[in-house]
Amino acid sequence: MAVRILLVDDHPVVRQGLRTLLDGRSQLEVVGEASDGIEAVEKVMELRPDVVVLDITMPRMSGIEACRLIQQKAPGREVLFVTQHDSPQMMREALAAGARGYVVKSNLARDLVEAVEAVSQHREFTALARNPRTES
Amino acid sequence: MKLRILVADDHEIVRRGLCALLQKHEGWEVCGEASDGRQAIEMAKQLKPDVVILDIGMPNLNGLDTTRQLLQYDPHFKIVVLTITDADQVIREALDAGARGFVLKSDASRDLVSAVEALQSKRMFFTPRVNDLVLRGFLDKGHAVSRNEPPDLPVLTAREREVTQLLAEGKSSKEVASLLNLSTKTVETHRSNIMRKLSLHSIRDLVVYAIKNNIIQIQMPLPTNHTTESTVV
Repeated sequence: MAVRILLVDDHPVVRQGLRTLLDGRSQLEVVGEASDGIEAVEKVMELRPDVVVLDITMPRMSGIEACRLIQQKAPGREVLFVTQHDSPQMMREALAAGARGYVVKSNLARDLVEAVEAVSQHREFTALARNPRTES
Repeated sequence: MKLRILVADDHEIVRRGLCALLQKHEGWEVCGEASDGRQAIEMAKQLKPDVVILDIGMPNLNGLDTTRQLLQYDPHFKIVVLTITDADQVIREALDAGARGFVLKSDASRDLVSAVEALQSKRMFFTPRVNDLVLRGFLDKGHAVSRNEPPDLPVLTAREREVTQLLAEGKSSKEVASLLNLSTKTVETHRSNIMRKLSLHSIRDLVVYAIKNNIIQIQMPLPTNHTTESTVV
């Protein structure tokens, strides 16, 4: 069964970019998109995706807060943050909010597919720009 | 014949999104992708694209100076600038530099295709806010958006602006020299001329000048829609 993915970023052009990285992989299926934290939580309730690919800085509700709500309201989803915050501190906060993965946007082309696959199997995947990625 | 488009943005994920948008359009192809202004100029000279799409906030050479340099090289280049802010000053500079399209990044998925279509049929494309500003300038000549409205600051040469950007990005004179194929001594001369012209006393002052004048943009997450103020320091 394909991994069902929800893409969340406030910039449509970035969502489009994310899609191009995931499209054409039979084991991965993008089931929906959202453009802020509130919409993300709504779509999670509606679509029950396996993996939520979540931006952090968004209007109305940040990704971190959305992540907490998703864990509360629809446990069992895995959250992978994709963000421009190349900061260990932000990464710790994101993981503390219940995310399984954290990838900076500059590394996405290299890491996105692998990261989605890892978190869909409940493995942690983090990659800051300065540090080599780690998987456990 | 296909319409050939060159895309320049320093974020790969954004480039991918832009390319996907453009390639969906029948009869268009992305003939090249660049990740900064210097690379965009090299590729544009070599590939002679029909339309060039330039992000404004790129490292090494920003999109506005890239626009100026490309049009100086060949005034026939058709250029769309992509911006995270439609602050008045950025609009003025983009128009002044000679861009024929002006698209907000947050609206790119809606507006970019229209902008390229406009340029393809020799028209221009601007966001509603730019149109307002131009119209206001036209109606109220006292505050016209005119090509001859220089900022109150002494004008730097194109080369000096390039050097300003590179220094403000934290590069040493030696690094700037190697990037621009100049001697370190020449770069240091440019640097002292820039500081003198602008009455600046430190690199810190230079960085502030570069930010205020849109020569560099602070590297931070893409601002969310409607919060363009947050990008201005």
